[in-house]
Amino acid sequence: MTDRRENLLLLAPGLALLALAFILPIFRMLALSVQGEDGLTGAHFARFLGDPFYLGVLWRTVRLSLLITLICAVLGFPFAYIMARARPRLRTLLLIIVILPLMTSVVVRTFGWMVILSRNGILPEMLRDLGLAGRSFQLMRTETAIVLGMVQVLMPFMVLSILGVLARLDQRLEEAARTMGCSFLGALRHVVLPLSMPGIAVGAVLCFTLSASSFVTPNLLGGTRVQMLAASIYRAVTQTLDWNFAAAQSVILLVGILLVMAPYIVSQGRRHG
Amino acid sequence: MADLTLTGIRKSFGRTEVLHGIDTVIEKGSFVSLLGASGCGKSTLLRIVAGLETASAGRVEIAGQDVTALPPEARDISMMFQSYALLPHLSVAENVRFPLRMRGIGNREEQAARVAEALETVQLSAFANRKPSQLSGGQQQRVALARAIVSTPKVLLLDEALSNLDARLREDMQLELIEIHRKLGLTTLFVTHDQDEALSLSDRVILLDGGRVAQAGSPEEIYEAPQTAFAAEFLGAANLIPAEIGPRGTATLPGGQHLPVPENMPEGPALLAIRQEDLVLSAGGKGISARLKAQVFMGSRTRHVLDLDGHRLRALSLGRPGLVAGETVRLAVDPDRIAWLPPAPTDRPE
Repeated sequence: MTDRRENLLLLAPGLALLALAFILPIFRMLALSVQGEDGLTGAHFARFLGDPFYLGVLWRTVRLSLLITLICAVLGFPFAYIMARARPRLRTLLLIIVILPLMTSVVVRTFGWMVILSRNGILPEMLRDLGLAGRSFQLMRTETAIVLGMVQVLMPFMVLSILGVLARLDQRLEEAARTMGCSFLGALRHVVLPLSMPGIAVGAVLCFTLSASSFVTPNLLGGTRVQMLAASIYRAVTQTLDWNFAAAQSVILLVGILLVMAPYIVSQGRRHG
Repeated sequence: MADLTLTGIRKSFGRTEVLHGIDTVIEKGSFVSLLGASGCGKSTLLRIVAGLETASAGRVEIAGQDVTALPPEARDISMMFQSYALLPHLSVAENVRFPLRMRGIGNREEQAARVAEALETVQLSAFANRKPSQLSGGQQQRVALARAIVSTPKVLLLDEALSNLDARLREDMQLELIEIHRKLGLTTLFVTHDQDEALSLSDRVILLDGGRVAQAGSPEEIYEAPQTAFAAEFLGAANLIPAEIGPRGTATLPGGQHLPVPENMPEGPALLAIRQEDLVLSAGGKGISARLKAQVFMGSRTRHVLDLDGHRLRALSLGRPGLVAGETVRLAVDPDRIAWLPPAPTDRPE
């Protein structure tokens, strides 16, 4: 019994911090979102869901987050596979390359993208010179810019999640597949890919959640015209000072993310339960 | 007809050459063991046959076709791994169907029939829908075997396939393997470090020592007539005694004692190989004398360690010969059971 009490005691500081800095604000947010002039109201939600502009913002948030997650998975899987099979020295080098974006400040990194993507930046200019894009072509303040910037930041989460699974995968399974008639790509498709699904799932949940709730990168690369939900919440808080509406948007974002995570949580619960 | 022909196979990892030119021909339908201590290159050779490893030099032919440059999936082989390598995300039946599916053998119904037949062969029909993780080690092993035989490949490769099992299961599986081999007649190449397993299972044993073939032949040949000291020691732990063969079938041992040997043995220095079970011990009979240093009673047999004028000998008797450790005993050997080997340039470390 004392063991249990000691354990609780050890948990206390962490729980206190969580309660103060996370659970309390969440309840405050939930309360704000349904608070009206006279008692409870669903007006803030109705306003959001009735306005094509905000629905557009929501749809863009979901769509871009899915796209970013997909690109991260498609690029991250081969990267993680090569890392898992590389010699230690090459693996370290690749690891540094993949986590380097996380080591620079988000603002610095985003300004880097702005330099590359702006009207006279390297990328649009090159595309124009190659005749692949028209004179009015631009990348800044487009969804493409957001996706590019976000994929760069979120890749490490996907790569490291998949790497964790692949590193524990018995290489002989691939060899066995080869002796059973699989080509190299066939073995990847029929053995490695299905077995790295848990890692891909973790990476996907991380990527989706982080991109759906990200603020700085989409805001700087997408501008005010191409808004995602976090930026819209920020505007409601700081510019229109409509905290109730901001809270309603936040609740919608939170519920959306929980819905995406639900299948994953359920599958994990089933595995351990 | 030969199903597998290896010509001058060499393999180097970096600067170390682990296979120094292996030549062998494996007849269709035969069961051949690659026997050797760990690190002798036997697994590497098997992997070269499978195509998982590329030979630095030499040729691999399967059923008359040169497959040296082909990847594993293009070779008509199947391989059973020491760790079984069952695919954990697939059920037992799906695991067994996997090679058929990947090689495009038969349609769905034919595949199902062959899977059922293979599972029946290894007596696992009741477990078809389980996941590998729900099976015991022995059952997993049999799934791996079913998966290896289901596509009836030209050559079946078994890499230390029984090494992970405990002794009793292992004996069962040996019998099962013999049975399956007799039934299907698949050309089988079996890698093992266990001499008993190699002798009891195979038609032919290829003994590897340090990346070279030390001896190849039938189990009887290789056991009865070892051609090298390594073969004599490795298969049956024979005693190797340096001796000087004189005229009329007498050998002079290091301590000066004389031992009768067959008259046709070439005169001069030699290494005599005498199996443990061929040394007959008695308290006061005929033969050369040696001191009995220690003995271990093991039920049906007794193991002895003897000192023959400074040379260590091991002997194995049936039952309990009733000798006393520390005393001098007599050793007799049937001259025909002594194998002649060329003298060793230097003594091997014990």
